[in-house]
Amino acid sequence: MNTLPSSPLRRCDGVSRRDFLHLGVLASFGWSVRDLLGLQAAAGVIPATRSAATSCILIWLDGGPSHLDMFDLKPDAPSEVRSQFKAIPTDVAGLHICEHLPRTAAVMKEVALIRSLTHELGNHDTGARFLLTGHRPTPALEHPSLGSLVAHARGFGAAMPPYVAIPGDGVGGNSGAAKSGYLPRAFSAFNVGSDPSRVNGLQSPEGVSFARSDLRRDMLKKMDSFTRGVEQGSGGSRGDRDAFYEQAYRLLASPEAKAAFDLSREKPEVRQRYGSARIGAGCLLARRLVEAGSRFVTVVDTGWDTHQQIFKELPDSRFAGSGKLPSLDRAYAALITDLRERGLLDSTLVVLMGEFGRTPKLNAFGGRDHWPRAGSVCLAGGGVKGGQVIGATDSYGEVPVDRPIGPPDLAFSLLKLLGVDPSRELLTPSGRPMKIMSEGSFIAELI
Amino acid sequence: MRHPAVIALALFVHSFLPAGLEAAPFRTSILPILTKAGCNAGACHGAATGQGGFRLSLLGYDPVQDHENLTRELGGRRIDVTQPEASLILRKASGQVEHEGGRKLRRDSRGYDLLKAWIAAGAPYGSPDLQVARIDVEPDDTLLEGTNRTVALRTKAFLSDGTSQDVTEIALYTSNDDAIAEVSKTGLVTSVGRGLASIMVRHSGQVAAARVAVPLGESLAPTPEWTPLSFIDKHLFAELARMRVPASPMSGDAEFLRRAHLDLTGLLPRPEVARSFLSSPPSVAKRLSVINELVDSESFIDFWTMKLADLFLLNGKSEPADAYYSWLRGQVASRVPYDQLVRALLTAKGELTKVGPANFSTLANDPRDFSEHVARMFLGSQVACARCHAHPSDRWTQEDYHQFAAYFARLRHEDGLVQIAARGEVDHPKTGKPVSPKPLGGSAAIPDPAADRRAALAEWMISPDNSRFSSAFVNRVWKHLFGRGLVEPVDDMRPTNPPTHPELLEALAADFSKHRYDLRHLIREIVSSRAYQLTSATRGVNRWDDRLYSHAYAKELPAAVFADAVAQVTGVPDTFEGYPAGTRAVQLFTPATISPELDVLGRCLRKGPCDGSAGGGGGLARALHLINGSTINDKLTGGIMESLRDLPSGDVVEELYCRALTRPPRPEEYDEWKGVLDQAPERFEAAQDLLWTLLNSREFGMNH
Repeated sequence: MNTLPSSPLRRCDGVSRRDFLHLGVLASFGWSVRDLLGLQAAAGVIPATRSAATSCILIWLDGGPSHLDMFDLKPDAPSEVRSQFKAIPTDVAGLHICEHLPRTAAVMKEVALIRSLTHELGNHDTGARFLLTGHRPTPALEHPSLGSLVAHARGFGAAMPPYVAIPGDGVGGNSGAAKSGYLPRAFSAFNVGSDPSRVNGLQSPEGVSFARSDLRRDMLKKMDSFTRGVEQGSGGSRGDRDAFYEQAYRLLASPEAKAAFDLSREKPEVRQRYGSARIGAGCLLARRLVEAGSRFVTVVDTGWDTHQQIFKELPDSRFAGSGKLPSLDRAYAALITDLRERGLLDSTLVVLMGEFGRTPKLNAFGGRDHWPRAGSVCLAGGGVKGGQVIGATDSYGEVPVDRPIGPPDLAFSLLKLLGVDPSRELLTPSGRPMKIMSEGSFIAELI
Repeated sequence: MRHPAVIALALFVHSFLPAGLEAAPFRTSILPILTKAGCNAGACHGAATGQGGFRLSLLGYDPVQDHENLTRELGGRRIDVTQPEASLILRKASGQVEHEGGRKLRRDSRGYDLLKAWIAAGAPYGSPDLQVARIDVEPDDTLLEGTNRTVALRTKAFLSDGTSQDVTEIALYTSNDDAIAEVSKTGLVTSVGRGLASIMVRHSGQVAAARVAVPLGESLAPTPEWTPLSFIDKHLFAELARMRVPASPMSGDAEFLRRAHLDLTGLLPRPEVARSFLSSPPSVAKRLSVINELVDSESFIDFWTMKLADLFLLNGKSEPADAYYSWLRGQVASRVPYDQLVRALLTAKGELTKVGPANFSTLANDPRDFSEHVARMFLGSQVACARCHAHPSDRWTQEDYHQFAAYFARLRHEDGLVQIAARGEVDHPKTGKPVSPKPLGGSAAIPDPAADRRAALAEWMISPDNSRFSSAFVNRVWKHLFGRGLVEPVDDMRPTNPPTHPELLEALAADFSKHRYDLRHLIREIVSSRAYQLTSATRGVNRWDDRLYSHAYAKELPAAVFADAVAQVTGVPDTFEGYPAGTRAVQLFTPATISPELDVLGRCLRKGPCDGSAGGGGGLARALHLINGSTINDKLTGGIMESLRDLPSGDVVEELYCRALTRPPRPEEYDEWKGVLDQAPERFEAAQDLLWTLLNSREFGMNH
């Protein structure tokens, strides 16, 4: 039997890259991303404004985390709405969150909790793209993900890849998260592969010395220079390929950068603290990468699409404590405290979100379905004022009653916090100037 | 708004009469004014939740509801029949009172006057049946000689009562590439760059498109006196001449041979095949005979089974996937026409482990989701927008959408069995009432209540009258062979996204249908053309061209083809768990087969449409993997390397070039690598390094 594929381009966003008459901006020779950077210069790039946050760790709860069972419980709502989980107090007076997030409850002083995220795109793919780009997907143009925008603004040059994605369990997920949209593909995320504890491709193959690796690299340059007449003007794929090889060699040449990907260099007690679940390893790796100079790291955690048995699945799943909430709680709280202890929290913005919230009314299977009209987002670090709640939903958690915040507002604010001017104009491959954000405004409460 | 909508007087002559007599009908005359002014745009009152307490349907797809909201809500304050100018709709739109959206309609504009007169006449809806049946835009294909030239588009609406109106001023215009052509609110197109663009025109739920071409070259390039090898060439070369783009010369034999082998079979030519082909003098006939051999080969069957499996999203596991794949391969092997194959997919039922095509029906549980797959795969149509509201850039309404989905209302699959239930309907979300099945943009006999509705749909789908069916498939095959679809994206064919070469697509689709939907015929036809056989090297301004087919566009090798090519060059096969030794990546039944290598190379996971870059792989991860990972490095011992141990260095270079790039090394390449091998302290290692280099090279990774 076929497994269910993601919905067939269920989109008013059957987006794919626009057709551009390629002006050959990428059709340069050699392995140089200078041309990509030249493209920035041509677009009149303003240097990134100073701000507290220099990096971002985005924990993406793929599938749509239930606001009603995590950060926006409604203990007074009728039983068909109310979470079976208890609301517990946090380190912020008057703020209560789910009982299965006790460690998180102890770090809420660092967190600005937005309870009024709202939009109208109720399927995974479009919702995710809306949140991750700040643009409602349209067929006209594919917008870059926030990580690509940050990577683009910060540029290459360093050995560390600017934008890294740590995928979740299982194949697929929202690979759209990593897409560079109208920016060159070189700004898409470096996907570290299926196991965060073992990133492949960074060590020379057995029996190949450093000297021989260098020799091979030189031979490859020579080979490509012989065939430079081949495949000109082929729509950018060649420029991308060259940029990727250049990035790869820059990374391989730096022992420090390679070490950043190596989780085995962490003490067992640190790994323990983040938890043994995949999201724990993912968050720990993210911290190492940010520490080493990556600008945007996405940690994807799958399994939040809780259509069934939500009160069992979220805390316990296969056995008691094996559900999504305990793993997240451990990893998230460890990340926040670890960053704080290392003095990195002020410069690292940590974002926790998914594509939408879930239906207030429980369905016939004891689960909750997709509900884009209300959802919660946690922001911490990066200069964000913690210990506050922004916005509120009504008594059933159905719609925001105060301070509705749309994905464009969120994207606008994240970019601004990360020193990327949202009103800046970039160039699409056809040479068309495109404002990074055309709508949305800064969520002033954050700073 | 610096340019308020100026409504031409001519627009409403048939309907605009003094107040008290006959008022302009809401749907065809008043609503378009609101649409043009932007009132019902997605960012304004057309948002799903409206704006400021006032909701209109997106771009006016629901005129009845809009009329209702306008005239009834808010205690009628939006419309004041006794004092038209006091109506909120006019005061807000003209900026006389606070309006978040600003001033949209000037008081001295024609639109304002018309709205006022309509209100004074009692704000009637008008005849419930009157609607715009279609629109035409003229000229629909314009060549502008250079930049800064203009052409004024005229748009005409044909109404359901048989009358027509000029709606140039109130239609909406959007350019698909405003780096080439810009369009004003009134349809004036200005060329700002060079290339092909299209202007989408929308009015009252109907859509049309106009193509605008600005030649790339300043003067007509000298065109060689070529005999077209196929009707394809005539179309393509005519467009090249019109756009003043020179075509590149024909490919050399080596380039052609590698390209055709990879495109048709996903394999590189074997060295002995290459040597024999390259040693005979060039001729059209010898290429044709290669094409015929490839089309008739076993590897063609494997490769096109994979291509079709990618299209149909064959992604299951174990026995059902085995049954599905074996069936599909059997269809390709026994040359079952594409229309028959699709009919089988659309109508199969039974046990998933026994009836291969029944697995197709497990793509989705919900008839709506399922119908979206069907529309996308077989019609190249994106219909999902129409699930919730009329499609903003196509002609589909919510009614169309749900009627199409209704064909699958009784489709059930559970416990490994696909069957048709006795009852089951798709309800219209607005009325909550079941809709009767109807094909998208067509009509078909209403199925016998007791029969499987899908049979009627399949008949309509594969009927030769349904040219969208053949166009969609032909366009996919074209994209595979040329690296670009005549319509891009291939999954988004609609009147407002016209092909680069409309007549060619039509001719190809007709030819495909005429030749009984024979895949091999289609491929032979395309690959035999001169256009397919041009070199990828560019010439003059054609280096800027990426859609006129002035030269061959290089294509990245798909993940499975790349993996197989590495195995083929090195002589070290891959192994896949659960498959017999010697199975190639292209031959895998399903992406559920575990292969971290194929994952990082970016294989098609068949979870959704693959455009070549799908999956989590590719990019930096792929580059690192190719440099250090197993795909290449585990294959540098054994296999071909062993047989090269005792050959002279020059022969090693020649052999490796022939295997990897299907060409002899050029003199400078030969000298360089022979030197490297001769001077190396360990020649075997140096030869390994040369092989590694070839497999990592830009040229190897591309089909050019």
